[in-house]
Amino acid sequence: MGMFHEYKTTISAGDTVIIYLTPDSMYPLTMTPGAVQNNKFGSFKHDDMIGSKFGTKMRSHTGRGFIYLLHPTPALWTQVVPHRTQILYLPDISFISSYLDLRPGKIMIESGTGSGSFSHSIARTIAPTGHLYTFEYHELRATTAKQEFEEHGLSDMITMEHRDVIANGFGKTDLADAVFLDLPAPWDAVKAAKEALRKDTIGRICCFSPCIEQVQRTAVALNEHGFSDIRMYECLAREHEVRSAPVPDIETAIGGEKVNFKMSKSDRNKKRKLEAGSAEPSGEESAKLPEVLVSKPTDITRGHTSYLTFAILAPVDQQ
Amino acid sequence: MPMEVDQPQTTTPRISAGDFVLIRMPSTNTKIVCMKPGTTISLGKFGSFKADNLIGQTFGATFEIQKDGKIIAQAPTAFDNADDTEANNKEINDDPTSQKMTFEQIEELKLKSIAGDVSAKEIIDSLTENNASFEKKTEYAKSKYIRRKERKFMKAFTPIEPTVFNLCGYFFEVNPGKIRGIRPDTLSQLLSLANVYSKARVLTVDDGQGLIAGSLLSRTTSEGMVFAMHDGDVSNYDVVRYMKLSPEDKERLRTLPWHRLDHEMTPFTEVLPENPTEKDISGYERRKRGHARLASNLETLRAGEFDALVISTNYNVVSVIKRLLPYVGGSRMVVVYSQSEETLIEAFDWMRHSPEFLNVQMTESWLREYQASCSAPSHVLPEDA
Repeated sequence: MGMFHEYKTTISAGDTVIIYLTPDSMYPLTMTPGAVQNNKFGSFKHDDMIGSKFGTKMRSHTGRGFIYLLHPTPALWTQVVPHRTQILYLPDISFISSYLDLRPGKIMIESGTGSGSFSHSIARTIAPTGHLYTFEYHELRATTAKQEFEEHGLSDMITMEHRDVIANGFGKTDLADAVFLDLPAPWDAVKAAKEALRKDTIGRICCFSPCIEQVQRTAVALNEHGFSDIRMYECLAREHEVRSAPVPDIETAIGGEKVNFKMSKSDRNKKRKLEAGSAEPSGEESAKLPEVLVSKPTDITRGHTSYLTFAILAPVDQQ
Repeated sequence: MPMEVDQPQTTTPRISAGDFVLIRMPSTNTKIVCMKPGTTISLGKFGSFKADNLIGQTFGATFEIQKDGKIIAQAPTAFDNADDTEANNKEINDDPTSQKMTFEQIEELKLKSIAGDVSAKEIIDSLTENNASFEKKTEYAKSKYIRRKERKFMKAFTPIEPTVFNLCGYFFEVNPGKIRGIRPDTLSQLLSLANVYSKARVLTVDDGQGLIAGSLLSRTTSEGMVFAMHDGDVSNYDVVRYMKLSPEDKERLRTLPWHRLDHEMTPFTEVLPENPTEKDISGYERRKRGHARLASNLETLRAGEFDALVISTNYNVVSVIKRLLPYVGGSRMVVVYSQSEETLIEAFDWMRHSPEFLNVQMTESWLREYQASCSAPSHVLPEDA
C-alpha cells in the first residue's frame, strides 16, 4: 500500500516513518525488524516502533529525549528528501499543482524527475486513477528515484523512464492533461510537450526556470508552437515567528524600578516548565511584566526559487 | 450498497450545457455565465453570442463574435516581436492634436462597431493611421498602443474553465469578502499542507461560502469525504455550485450546523395526522429525511479519525480547534487560514505550547506576476497591479 496517497494508523515493518526530533531536524526511516536507530536523543529500537500508532511520542532507551513517529506526507518528504538535485519546495509545488488543475484522475508528464520531491506530491494528488510519467536523463538519478517510488508504493501510479526528452521526446501522443518542464533548456522540449498533450481538451504546461533569459526563450517557443495565455509568476512563502514580549508601563521606570526586558535562559526554562505544568511556582518569580504576543517575518527568507511560466494549449476545430 | 468503482475524473473535454464558464473579455475583466441552451450571452460593448455556439467548444480558445451572434475561434495571437527598434520617445510630446480624427468621427466608428459593421481591426487601423505620433513610437510602444485599443474595441472573449484555481482568482478579484480574501496561491498552499488526496476524510470550517470546501471536494473521490461545520441551520456554500462537480461529488459534502455539535439524537416520533393532506405528507417526509440525515452526519463526525482539519472561520480560532480536534486522527495536519495575522497569533502561541501539536508554523504566501508575454520577449517586467 502506498503511504503517500493513503493514511494508515499503525506502523508496520517496511513502512517509511518520518522521525521528528525538532522542527529543523527530521529524517525518513524505513522500519526494519531488529534494527536500532541512534540519534542525539539516544537509541530507539525499530521493533518498538513497529506496532505503534503514527504520531506516537517515543522516549529513548537512555531517557535523554523524545522522538515523534510521523506519518509521511509529500510535504514532509520535501523537507527530508535526500537532495540529488535542487528541489521544488512547497509554495511552488502547491501553486503549480493548482494552476495545472491536478486532481484525482489526471494524467501528467514531468521532466526531469530530479530528486522526486514534486513527483510525490503529483502522485498523491492524482491518485488512484491518474498517472505520472516522469523522465530523467541522468541514469543514476533515474534508478534511485525509481527505487524510491517502489519503496513508497507509488510504482502503480508513476512510470519512471530514463530518457533524454530533448533528444528523444516523451514518446507519448495526445495523452497528458498537463506537462511540467524543469530542464535547463525547456524551450527545446516544447514541441514534444505539445505532442504529448491531449488534443480533445485544454492542455496545460508549466516551465520552471531560475533565470529570466530562460523564461524569454521559453515564452517565444510556447508562442511559436501555438500555446496561448502565457503567464509568468514567482511564488514564495514567508515564515513568521511569534513570541510574547514584555511591554511594561513607563511608570515602572519612572518609579525607579529596573525592568529586565531580556529573559535569562534559566528563567525561560522555568517559564516553559510552568506553562507545561511540570513545575510548581516557587514564589521566587519576579513580578510578572505585562506581555503581548508579537509576530514578525523571520529575519532571513528565501527570495527566489524559479520563475513559473504557464501556458495553455487550446485545440481549435479547423473550420 | 453496490461497490463503487472510481472512474477517472478527468475534465469533460468540452464546454457542455449547464456548465458555468468564466468569460474573459478583451478588457481582461471576467464574468461568470451559465451555458443554458437557447440563451444569448451579452458582454456589453464587446457584443453578444448564442450559448449554443459555445457549447461543445474547448476552454481557453479565443473566439471572435460575429454580427449574427456566431463565434469564430481565433488562432493564438503571435508576439509582435517588437524588440528591435531604433526609435525612442525624444520627438513625442504630449499633444492632444496628434490624433487627427475628431471625437465625432471616432464615436461614429464605435457605433458602427457595436452594430457589427466595422471590425475592431478597422477601427484600430484608422486610429493609428490618423495618429501623427504613432510612427515615431518604438515598436514596443506601438504594440502597447495597439493592445490597449484592442482591449477597448475587440469583439472577442475567452471561455475559462471554472477550475478551483480560476474560480478563486475570479472571486478574489470581484468579491474577495465572499471568500474571506483567500488568493489562489494561498489556497494552493492550504490544499498541499492539508495533504488532501482521493480517499481523505477532511473536516473543515469554511466561512468563505464554500470555496475551500469545494476545493477539498475536487481533490477527493467517492472514497473520500468532506465534512463541513457551518453557521445557522442551512449551509451557504454558494461557490460550490460554480465548480464542475457531479451530483455524486456534491453528495460527498456532509454538513453539520454548529448548534448541533453536542446534540443527542432521539428517535423520530412524529406521526402523520389522520387523513393527511399532501402537504402534511411532504412535510412529514422532509422532516423524517432531515432527522435521518442529522443522525447519520452526527455519527460520521463522532466516528472521528478525520485525515485533516482545515479552517477558515470568523470565530475565535483556538475555540474552533478545541472543539474539533477530538475528531482528528493522529499525525494529521491542522491548517488554519486567515487574512489577518492577528487572528492567528493567539492560535499559534496556544498550539506551540500544547502537547497535542508539533511543528507549528505560520507562513504568508507571496506572489508576483510578470508581464512575460504582452508583446516582446525581452521586455519582462513585473505586473504593477
